[in-house]
Amino acid sequence: MVGLVLISHSSSIADGLRDMVLQVAGSDVIVATAGGTDDGRLGTSAPRIAAAIRSTLEGGPDGTLILLDLGSAALSLELALEEFDADERARLRVSEAPLVEGAVLAAVQASVGATLDEVAEAAAGAASMQKMPTD
Amino acid sequence: MAELHLTVLDPAGLHARPAAQVVRTAGRFLSRITINVGDRTADVKSLIALLGLTIRPGAEITLAADGPDDDAALAALLTELGAAVQPSQSDAEQT
Repeated sequence: MVGLVLISHSSSIADGLRDMVLQVAGSDVIVATAGGTDDGRLGTSAPRIAAAIRSTLEGGPDGTLILLDLGSAALSLELALEEFDADERARLRVSEAPLVEGAVLAAVQASVGATLDEVAEAAAGAASMQKMPTD
Repeated sequence: MAELHLTVLDPAGLHARPAAQVVRTAGRFLSRITINVGDRTADVKSLIALLGLTIRPGAEITLAADGPDDDAALAALLTELGAAVQPSQSDAEQT
């Protein structure tokens, strides 16, 4: 099964989103979080992100979709990705999707055994998802 | 090809959590499964497509499955939806 990594400046956001994802998509979904800094402040940490990615890659061969919030999360992620070799990088995909919606949609698709491409595509759809019904 | 005509009873309509369960159930089957409400049709194996329909309470929906396990797929979906739906007046029909 494709795994997910949730990166946020806030550990509360990352952990809370993980709870939400597991409730919607089922507790067997592989979700690792990297929220906040090592000393518990708001921010992102490349080592924490790398550890989260590593844990999902060890969970199976199907790959990992990485979702992040904003700003420097992307910089920390770039640093973290440098720790992975080409074979591992080939099993990683970074999503441009909004974090909450993207994570939920990706997790549901992952839970039905979709491929990394399919899971990434599901997350990408979150960007254009409507909040309020039109009719 | 099999079809089920249902009325949505859940006062919240088909919202995120049950919709996700429906997608997960549909994903276990080989058949192509679609849901139709009004003039719109969506792939039941895609959560974003399903949520995009905004299925409201009272909505008349048609689940259609086409493939080697279509009858079993619809039976499983009906079980999954449980009390959230009831068969429409026209009754479930299979062709």
